[in-house]
Parts: sequence; structure tokens; C-alpha cells
Amino acid sequence: MLVYTLKRLFLAFLVALTVSAITFSLTYLASDPATAMAGETASDADIEYIRTLYGFDRPITVQYLEWAGRAIQGDFGESFYFKLPVSTLLFERLPVSMILGVCAISFAIILSIPLGVLAAIRPNSFLDRMALGISVVGQAMPSFWLALLLILIFGVNLNLLPITGSETWKHFILPTIVLGYYATPAIMRLTRTGMLEVLGSDYIRTARAKGLSLPVILFKHALRNAVIPVVSLAAVQFGFMLGGSIVIESIFALHGAGYLAWESIGRNDLPVVQAVVLVFSLFYIVLTFLSDLLNAWLDPRIRVG
Amino acid sequence: MTTTIANRGLPAAEDIVGPTPGQQMRRRIFGHYGLLFGGTILGIMFLMAILAPLIAPHDPYLQELLGRMQQPVWMSGSWDHILGTDHLGRDFLTRLMYGAQISLLIGFAAALISGVIGTALGVAAGYFGGRVDMVVTFLITVRLSMPVVLVALAVVALIGGSLTVVISVLGLLLWDRFAVVMRSATMQIRQMDYVAAAKAVGCSTPRILLTEILPNIVNSLIVVVTLEMAHAILLEAALSFLGMGVQPPMPSWGLMVSEGKEQIYFEAWMITIPGIALFLLVLAINLVGDGIRDVTAPEHRN
Amino acid sequence: MKRFVAASALSLVALASATPAALAGKADDTLNIVWERELENVDSYFNTAREGIIVSRMTWDALLYRDPATMEYKPLIAKSYKWVDDTTLEFELNEGLTFHNGEELDADDVVFTYNWVADPANGVKTQRNVSWIKGAKKLGKYKVQVMLKAAFPAALEFVSGAVSIYPKDYYEKVGPDGMALKPVGSGPYKVTELEPGRKIVWEKFDGYMQGSPKGTPTIGKIVQRTIPERNTQIAELLSGRADWMWRVPADQADRLSSSGRVQIVNEQTFRIGYITMDASGTTGDTPLKDVRVRQAISHAIDREGIVKALVRGKSAVVDSACFPSQVGCTTEVQKYAYDPAKAKALLAEAGYPDGFSIDFYAYRNRDYAEAMAGFLGQVGIKTNFNFLKYAALRDKIRAKEVPMAFMTWGSYSINDVSAITSNFFTHGKDDLALDAEVKEYLVKGDTTVDLAVRKEAYGKALNLISEKAYWLPLWSYNTNYAFSNDVNFTPTSDEIPRFFTASWK
Repeated sequence: MLVYTLKRLFLAFLVALTVSAITFSLTYLASDPATAMAGETASDADIEYIRTLYGFDRPITVQYLEWAGRAIQGDFGESFYFKLPVSTLLFERLPVSMILGVCAISFAIILSIPLGVLAAIRPNSFLDRMALGISVVGQAMPSFWLALLLILIFGVNLNLLPITGSETWKHFILPTIVLGYYATPAIMRLTRTGMLEVLGSDYIRTARAKGLSLPVILFKHALRNAVIPVVSLAAVQFGFMLGGSIVIESIFALHGAGYLAWESIGRNDLPVVQAVVLVFSLFYIVLTFLSDLLNAWLDPRIRVG
Repeated sequence: MTTTIANRGLPAAEDIVGPTPGQQMRRRIFGHYGLLFGGTILGIMFLMAILAPLIAPHDPYLQELLGRMQQPVWMSGSWDHILGTDHLGRDFLTRLMYGAQISLLIGFAAALISGVIGTALGVAAGYFGGRVDMVVTFLITVRLSMPVVLVALAVVALIGGSLTVVISVLGLLLWDRFAVVMRSATMQIRQMDYVAAAKAVGCSTPRILLTEILPNIVNSLIVVVTLEMAHAILLEAALSFLGMGVQPPMPSWGLMVSEGKEQIYFEAWMITIPGIALFLLVLAINLVGDGIRDVTAPEHRN
Repeated sequence: MKRFVAASALSLVALASATPAALAGKADDTLNIVWERELENVDSYFNTAREGIIVSRMTWDALLYRDPATMEYKPLIAKSYKWVDDTTLEFELNEGLTFHNGEELDADDVVFTYNWVADPANGVKTQRNVSWIKGAKKLGKYKVQVMLKAAFPAALEFVSGAVSIYPKDYYEKVGPDGMALKPVGSGPYKVTELEPGRKIVWEKFDGYMQGSPKGTPTIGKIVQRTIPERNTQIAELLSGRADWMWRVPADQADRLSSSGRVQIVNEQTFRIGYITMDASGTTGDTPLKDVRVRQAISHAIDREGIVKALVRGKSAVVDSACFPSQVGCTTEVQKYAYDPAKAKALLAEAGYPDGFSIDFYAYRNRDYAEAMAGFLGQVGIKTNFNFLKYAALRDKIRAKEVPMAFMTWGSYSINDVSAITSNFFTHGKDDLALDAEVKEYLVKGDTTVDLAVRKEAYGKALNLISEKAYWLPLWSYNTNYAFSNDVNFTPTSDEIPRFFTASWK
């Protein structure tokens, strides 16, 4: 187990390194950091001054290594726009994205696991078809469209829910539904398939033959096994959600990290863009790392193979 | 199984050996409502896209500033503009038809680029295994760790949006699922006797890949193609919504939703019509994908 | 399952109805305002946004105040002013003024502020606001002299606007970083809460000076929130959770106005739109080098039609490269009427009978840009349209990668041609015309005090720009302000909302 963990850890580190190198070069090649930093009223001389002062004239590999070296210590440089350390900004904005992500994934799980289980108990029943319908619709619905429709209905016509900001938990309801719904189909389908497989297995048949009641069979025996792949999928989906929440954050005026990145793109605030991409990637890497470990712990075959 | 007695007296060949694989396939297709429904919608959209220059009632770029935002015919509009006109007075139905071209083009082209990249990587990893597999798996992990929307936005914002840029960016970002699926499919096929046989006969590696491996993974390939088409179309719509997708005056559906969003409280139809079109297209593609998977791999049906 | 659905639906409704009624503004004496922009820094010397000007007018006072209605300079911190000579201004200060933190406001604060901002090393972001200042000196506890680097006719614009007076002791102690987080001024409202970029809360400053030309504030509390999506802003306004928003597009403004649920007021602004064309060929060899092509483009676009259908409000077509009311601006220039036939003829004459294809950029008003691209398409000019964020486009223009762009300019709300024409045609980084003659006239206008001479020089420059069609000036802008029926609010043409003059009905 230790060897496996170390191996995975090393791999995760390599992935993080590659991702950071790609983001760094992408943003620096596509625009001139000195001009971006100098701002609207700078003269050519100012820009040249900044270029040498901050070392933007050095080879990109040197700049990258320096940036990466500082990033490891949690120092992502200073935002060109806010003139504040990027880490301060992230510290302020990340919680909102995290709360939204956690709410959304919980919503998705709470909605899709029961539906998936019910669909699996009665394949091809009305319930199964309804669950299928929900998942097919969820996959095809553009999330910004859903968001605008919900705002129109709950925020304006019924005036029931707040639609902007992140002051109270009520502010998170609509964004949670929109973002969570997006992850629902995949989780539901996996639950259904997993349950069907488990329910068809010998030990469940034995349990049934022994006369155990349906709830006991379902929750004590079947769901436990079916849910393992769902956990790792949920971890992966959570990572995707953080990255995909930009549109949602901007519509609902949630000042999270995704929205910060989107605004920073428009302002050519490269240090912030790089930091957010890197942090989102790191979350994903850590989550998959943990779910790999979990799987390996549950299934010894993985560790060895 | 339905038994049709074609010639009274003599049993038909069908009754003895059962339906041929082709017949089975047809039956499965026509018994699969999702596939039928999706296929029909997709077919209509295709026709609409291809025939747009012939059947569209107006010029998609002709603006008439004095006739802006006329409502569709069932609200207060006229038959001249069945679906009304947009914020510059251009015919909505015409733009919807030409928009089908753009959305389908983006879906196809992005899926093609990512398909070529992903399949090449996936097949190589699955077939050769070992170090090749390690490298490809690493690349896939790297790609999966990058937040797609954010990276696409950053790239498009920095180098400027155009149809080519959007297609290339999406194509270069969406190959991961191809690689994953093709890799495991190839791994399974590699174990098959006929591959070993081909090797034993002395077939060259490219030949084995082309004649033995590819034909056998093409089903899963098609399924992934549909998924990624739908994915690309939705992503383009999201990019356009944020103002970073295809550029006007090109009539993409994502752009039409984005242009209509300004009017959501007052002229909700302007966002609803392209929204529904987008929804139906993605739905149809997904249904066709699911259908193909069910029909070609009946043993995996539940 | 049904039970599950029913239960979750019920709980959703329960959650929903638990939401308190809208944070009504008038009832708790709080004006909720929303805007789109994340302000990078509330310190007025370290942001370049118009929202920054709003914040600065609320929180700080300057020596003088320009009355937006009469355009006169009125005493504010300074009781009186006089020009000692072309480069020296003298101010007599009001006595007994204090900052929000209780610090007394006297000559030391004024001298400190002027000297501090004048030093380029302190990095004031908009250098043109302060670059005319040589320094300041104290003549007495309430008497100050400000020295100019050279004769600068527009100096009072800045004395009465951009140069806000900062508390010396506090600023020396906390510096720009501290000011950015806990701003202290002497203006009608004091900041009591601040989340950078997201939220600002002001309370009425009870110690505000009596008889200020800005008036005495009446609304107790003002809360600003940043909401990036315009639709969401409208939703907040309609549901009563916001009391004020601005920059409502014309279509929505009409609908909101006829709904009767909010008030809509339209006011024009100093901002004008224009198309800049690369006449000098610095971005590459494009057809735009030919004056006939630029004139053809000018004739091809129906500006009148766009104003009537899209821009609306108090906007009008402009023909010269400045806002008509600006000092030195003349409208007596060559005009280009909408005439597609003439445009085609000019194109044919220039050797492009079938038109050509060109990159066309814009950063705002996508619909206007789209309409213009449509008009160009009708005469055979195919545009490769690119919509970028402002900062990205500006960088691209300065990197000489943009042959043609639809831009706008608000002249920093300064009522003088030097704030626009001279800004663009004196061979700076944004200048694509690089016309030596134009530059010469503009420099003459900028450095002369005699009004008649200035006007003549600017007139010649503007005529040349128009003849050569370096720019196609488009139209003036207008702003729609939407606010609650409970509020009295009067917008001004300098596009600086003054909430200290707002009140409840």
C-alpha cells in the first residue's frame, strides 16, 4: 500500500508540474505581461522599465521555474489589477466556490442516488423512464439557460429566492440546483448500472433466498458495493464543477474563484488566471489521488496490478 | 420472436435459422424509440442546415433596423417573419437555419479533431502497452486536470475568437474521453485470437491496427463521437454566452441565446427559441449516441 | 419515490417562504445601488474606472467643485481661488473642516496631497490628472499656493475634480494600501464597510461641512454591490432588492419604464463612439491606406439609422472627433451622409470594385458593431469581426495589430478638446493616423491660453481629421438610469451619479 501511495503521489506531482507549465506558457505567450501590468496610461518607456524590473525579458523557462518555485510556497505573485497578493484574493474567493461546489455535488448525490437505486429495482418501469428522462434532459440543457429560467421564475415572477450574492445559505439554492443538475445524469446512470450488476449477483440472490427484507438487502448489501465507483465519479465531478462554475458564478453574482478568473482574463491579470487554473487543477489532482487511494484500499487487486 | 409464414406449407428460411444479423439490427433500431426520435430530429436539423440557402425565406445577414424584434407569428408577428426578427431586424427563422450549419459544423469539426488525437493516443496506448501506455495515461491525466471552460476562455480571450479558433480550441481540449475509451477497447481486442493470428501470419503493425483493431472499436468510437459533439456544441454555446465564442454576424445558436438574453424579461421568446433548438440538437445527438450503443452492443443493455 | 419528490418539493417551498421580505430601501433608510464593475481600488488615485470617480466624489472633497448644471467652479474646501500668473494658483481654505476620522483639514493636508500625487514615484495611476502639478506650498494655516509646470488652461478641471484632498497624518501612517482598505476622506459620505471589488457601505457623514455646493446628504446609508450580469441587476431592481442601477440598454429601458415599477431617466454623456482606421499603414498594408476607402466606409454606415433604432435616448450623430459641447470642438467639418452608392463608387475608384475583407474589432455594444458590420457587408466590405475585452483590445491596438476598430471615449468627463482629440492624434500609442500637421495644430491648442487661438488651431486639426477620414466619428452616448419609485435622483451629463444629492420621496 505504501509503495502504491508513493507511486501515485509522484505521478500526481508530475501532473501538477505539467499543468502549471502549460498554463504558464499559454498565458505568457498569448499576451505581453509588461503591457498588461503597466496599465492604461503607461508610456513605452514605463513598459520597458517594468519589463526589466520584473524580469519579463528573461527566457520563459527561467521565469517559469521562478514562478513555480514561489507557487510551491503559496506565493502566486501580485495581481496586476488589484495590486494585492494573489494568494489573498484566492483566500477570499475560494470559499464561495468551495461552498457552491460542495452544495452542488451534495444536491446531485441526494437527487441521483435514490433515483438510480429506484430505477435499478424496477428496470423499464415508469420510474426508470422518468429517471432516464431527467438524466437525458440534464445532459442537453445549457446551464446558463436553466439559470436564467430559474431566475425568471423564482427570483422575479414568484420573488421567493434571492438571486445574487452569497450572504446567506438561501443565496446558494438556485446556483446549487443549476450546477448540481449538470452532474446528476452521470451519477444516476452509474448508480443504476452498479445496482443492476450487484442485484444480479449471486450473493444478493442468496440473501433473498434467506428471506431478508428488501430494504436490508438494498441498503446493507447492494448499495454499499454499488456506491464505490459512484464515490470516485463524484470526486471527479466535483473537480469539474469547480472549473465549470464560471458561468453560474457570473450569472448569480457569486464572487468566487471562477468568476475572479473570468474577470481577470478580461483584465489581462495573468498571475490571477494562472493561479486559479493551477488551484483548480490541484483540487482535481488531489481528489482523484484520494479516490484512487480509497479504491485501492477497498480493492486489493488495484494495489498490486 | 414473430414468426411470419411466408410460404404456406414450407417453413421460411427465417423460421429455421432465425433472423439474420442485419434483420436483428433493423428490428432493434426500429424498436428503439429514443434512437428513432433522436435520429429524426437530427435528420431534420441536418436538412435544415444543408438546405438553408435554398429554403430560408430571407438573407441571414440582411438587417432592417426599423423592423427590429418583431414577435413570432403566434404572438403578434406576421407570416413574413414566422419566428419574428432579431435585435437588428434580421429574420429569426433564417438565422436559425443558418445557425444549424454553424452549430453542427462546430460539433463535427471539434469531434473530428479531438477524435483523431484521442483515438491515435488511445489505440497506441492500448495496443503497445508498457511505456507508451504510461505516457498516454499521463497525458490523459494532465488533460483531465485542466479546467476546460477556464482554459478555453483564457485562450479565446487572449488570441481573439473566430470560428476556426473556437473549433481548434475545443478540438484540442476534448480528446480525453476518446483516448480513455479507445485505450480500453483496444486492450480488449488485443487479447483476441484473430489479432494473435494476424501477428503470427506476419502482418505489419499498421496493417493490424487498420484492419483488425479499428473496425472492432468503431462502435464505441461512434458513441464517443456523439457525446463529444454534444459536449462541444454546449461548450461553444457557453463561450458565446460569455461573449468569447463565434463572432457576430455569424448566426450560431449559442450566440443567438446570448443576444436574446438581454431581452429575457420582456421578449422571452428570443432566448427560448434558440435555447430550445440547442436543447433539441444536443438531446437528439445524445439519444442517437445512447441508441447506437444499445443497438450495437445488445449484451450491455439492461 | 413519489413521497421523496413531494417531500423535497415541500421543503423547497418551505425554504423559499422563509426568505425575509425584500431588504426594502426606503423603510430602513438604505439606498441599495448595484453596478457591474469590480473596482480594483477605492483610492481614487489608484483606479481608472468611472465607478472610481463616483466613489471618490462621495468619499472625498476637492478644493473646488464644478456645478454640473451651470458648469461653474464653486468653492468647496477652498473658500476662494485666484490665478497669480499663468502657472500659479492661490487658494484660501475654509476653516473648521474635518476628515471622517476627526483629523482637522488645513493647508498641511492640501500641500501634502498635491506634492504627494505630483511625484511620479508614488505611481498615481492616471498620470494626466496630476502631471501638470509642479508642487504646492503652504502660505498660512488656511492659505495654499499650487504651482503648475507650464501654462495649462484646463487645470481647474482637475482642481475641481480628480485631485481629492487626503488626510496627511492618516495617509502618511497607512499609505495607499491602508487607504485602499479603510478609506478616510472629508466628503459627504464615510465608508464604514468595504469588501474590495464586491461591496462598499457608506454612512452619512454627520460632520460634513455646512453650505457645501454638493449639498447636505439626506439618505442615511448607501450600500453598493457588484453584480456582473445586467439581467441579474434588472431582476434585483424589479424585486426591490436594489434601488438603483445604470447603463440599462435602450430596449430594456423602454420596457422597464412602461412597466411603471421603476423610474427611468435618460441623460447624455461626454462619451462618443468612433471607428479608428489605420491610415498610416502601421498595422500592415491594408486598403485603409487609401483615403477613398476610408471615405467609402464613412459613407457606407447609416449612423442616423443606428442612432434611431439602437442607441436612442438623447444621443445624436457626431461628425467631428470630439463631443460637441467640449471647449474647442467645432461641428463645421466635412460630413459623410449615408450613401451606399457613393461608397461603392469610391471603392471602385480606389480599385476595390468587389470590396475587400478586413479585421474589425470592438469591445462594447456588440449590437452596434454588428449593425455596422452589416452595413459594410452591403457595400462589399467583409469584416472579420473580433470582440475582445477592453484591456485586451487596447493592448492589441497599441501593439499595432488592429487595422480598424469601433471604440468609444469618455474624455474623463473633461469639457475640453484636449481630453479627446489631442489624446489620440499627437502621435501617441493609439494614433494610427500619424499626421504631422494635425499634431502641430493640436499641440498649439493645448499649450495656448488664449481661447480664440485655441479654437482656431483645434478647428484646423478637426477639419483635417474629417477630410482625411482618419476616424469616423459615430454618435454621442447616453445613459439610462433606472431606480426605485421611492427615490429622487437627477443624473448629470458628466456621467457621475451624485448620490449625495439623492433623497427619498
